[in-house]
Amino acid sequence: MADQDNLTRRELIQLTAAAAVAGAAVPSGLANEAAPKFFTKDEFAMVDELSELIIPTDEHSPGARAAQVAAYIDGRLAESFEDEPKRRWRKGLARINSLSGEMHGQPFMQATPEQRLALLTRIAKNEEKPEAPEEHFFQELKGRTARAYYTSKVGIHQEMEYKGNVLLPEFVGYEAK
Amino acid sequence: MSLFFSPDRPNGNDVDLKRVYDAIVVGSGAAGGMAAHVLTSHGMKVLLLEAGKKLNINKELKSMEWPYDHPRRGDIPPDTHALNRNEYNFRPRPYAKGMPYSHVYNYVEGWNSADYSKNIVVDEKDNPYTGTSYAWVRARCLGGKTNIWGRLALRLSDYDFKAKSHDGYGEDWPISYQDLAPYYDKVDLYLGISGHKENLPYLPDSIFQRAIRLTKSETMLRESLAKMGRVLTPYRAGVTTDGVKNKYRSRCFGRGACERRTGGCDIHAAFDSPTGLIYPALDTGNLTLRTNATAYEITVDPDSGRARGVAFIDTDTGKAYEARGKAVVVAASTLESARLLLLSKSKTYPNGIGNSSSHVGHNFCEHLMGPGVTGIVKDLVGKARTLDDGRPGGFYVPRFRNLKERNPNFIRAYGFEGSSGNTMFPQSAFWAKGFGSSYKKQVRDYAGAFIDMGGFGEVLARYENYVDIDPEVKDKWGVPALRFHYKFGDNEKKMAADMSDAARDMFEQAGIEIVEVKHQVQTEGWSIHELGTARMGTDPKTSVLNQFQQSHDVKNLLVVDGSSHVSASCHNPTWTIMALAWRSCDHLADQLRKGEI
Repeated sequence: MADQDNLTRRELIQLTAAAAVAGAAVPSGLANEAAPKFFTKDEFAMVDELSELIIPTDEHSPGARAAQVAAYIDGRLAESFEDEPKRRWRKGLARINSLSGEMHGQPFMQATPEQRLALLTRIAKNEEKPEAPEEHFFQELKGRTARAYYTSKVGIHQEMEYKGNVLLPEFVGYEAK
Repeated sequence: MSLFFSPDRPNGNDVDLKRVYDAIVVGSGAAGGMAAHVLTSHGMKVLLLEAGKKLNINKELKSMEWPYDHPRRGDIPPDTHALNRNEYNFRPRPYAKGMPYSHVYNYVEGWNSADYSKNIVVDEKDNPYTGTSYAWVRARCLGGKTNIWGRLALRLSDYDFKAKSHDGYGEDWPISYQDLAPYYDKVDLYLGISGHKENLPYLPDSIFQRAIRLTKSETMLRESLAKMGRVLTPYRAGVTTDGVKNKYRSRCFGRGACERRTGGCDIHAAFDSPTGLIYPALDTGNLTLRTNATAYEITVDPDSGRARGVAFIDTDTGKAYEARGKAVVVAASTLESARLLLLSKSKTYPNGIGNSSSHVGHNFCEHLMGPGVTGIVKDLVGKARTLDDGRPGGFYVPRFRNLKERNPNFIRAYGFEGSSGNTMFPQSAFWAKGFGSSYKKQVRDYAGAFIDMGGFGEVLARYENYVDIDPEVKDKWGVPALRFHYKFGDNEKKMAADMSDAARDMFEQAGIEIVEVKHQVQTEGWSIHELGTARMGTDPKTSVLNQFQQSHDVKNLLVVDGSSHVSASCHNPTWTIMALAWRSCDHLADQLRKGEI
């Protein structure tokens, strides 16, 4: 029982912290200039940029940056019980930089927007059957980005305009005839 | 939320170990809850033992919490682990042995929003089992698995009860549909069930409350199936849509949390044993509830050979006690009940109590899962967002094999559970390819167009499929663990192949574009529908219980859960478990009154 009480308290604290992060609309995706918990500042900036390229702000709704996808991924990796996902992300981001060097002669964040897009297009092209390490990393990147974005306030309400999770007197559907 | 239900009840009275109760019920799920309800309503003094604790269930479930208000969007904590399919097949048993996590859970805790059920299911580290691969989902807390069940509430028919007469395999049940129909009615009326009348002889209608409506794609599939002589019916949900006379339960308000979680309903419109059965039973004043009480032996009076009571361990302190009763009603779940009978060895019953037939633990059966289909309804692509998940379930496609025609490859049948339309997390997000605005648009456009269904097939009851007691491994409380000897057979494999083909065919004929056909059969146990380990029958040599779920060997011992089922049928078992328990406990109360027990 004692463990459970502690867990509840811990969760409450985290919940409060998460709410504070969600409340602060900081465009960089990193609330209150707080240091990332797992990523280096440079890595964080890359994840922020990559997630925004995958789910961008467009005329329909804000994208991954506004939904603070990078901060969520960072938080989950920081508390990960296993080292493997941490290694995977660190290696994956390093590979993006080395690939950017091969393609454009400079690291990802120093490349032009067009060059970044060209890199993403390249690592996404074998999405259904990834082979190269960077292609596998794209799957990981996109999977985590989608998971974080479509469970966020922005993703659920603004992008998807989800109508459920409300008290309904009656489900409006079609009667079986 | 106080608008909808009364506050949680406190625990019942303390157990009186000097007293002889009219009946001791072991387990507080669908079967045990029903036994407590029926016996107390007859004025019997009942002691209900539950191995787990009484949770403040509403605090656990938080049915309407948004993902972004949870620190891990509903996932379990980082130092815990949910077993996955591969681990079930390749890890040595016991599965959690030596794992570094602070808690290890079954596969269900790997689902979305599983954090809300982590205190409901057991920690595999404390509750080991051995033998063949098996995904065993257990819930030790007041109400057991009814706190998170899938809610599909189906009746069996004589196609099931008299299946042997139909195809020659196995055994007929010692009852027919006519025997059980009045009790199905009682369960319908007392607990509430939602559904649409279809007049199918192989899936009898219940006394339904307002049916859940279908989505547009489901009406389309329903019309197409009708042309094939098949049926799609709204999910027959063990959920009260119009309300029942029970101050602990609200009617359904279509909040939809049941579709995106490991079940669970914090306004208790979905049936659960605590609010549906146990709290009202406590209100009669006839029920004593003892939680944290792990039963480990049914004790025997050596002179009469009758059951004397139940020995249990306090889950927190480890202290052992014995409670006594005129009758012992075992309802610990199919596998735990078999374990308890087998553990109850004495000079009188060296083979385990009620086991002169050597059938306890055998004829173990369930439903196989895995085969199914996912598709896209093209007419719904790009349509305005609709609210499609404000309901406790989608649809059900009842069995169609081996009714009139005989399938050349396999006997028995399967049905499909399915759902469609917009959900909180768009199914299209992991399907749409690419990235950028075009990816976003594709996710939006296709989110409401998805439709899925997955099969549940009857696994044949076979003597060779069984559980026994592991000679070495014990659980956290020192109680010997269960060992599995259980594999799907040839009939199941052939049926599974047909399930995939039939699922694809039904979607194709309805003009639904196929996204994926699933062929792979899930690990044994996946359906969480274990049955048959103490079956009923007329012959004491080949069955454990009579038609009133009473031990052939020990008259004052009943086993009222799914272990009594003679065959698995392909219909979800909970409603049948409760109808049978009601019938048997009516009979037991009558015998107690007459002094026959």
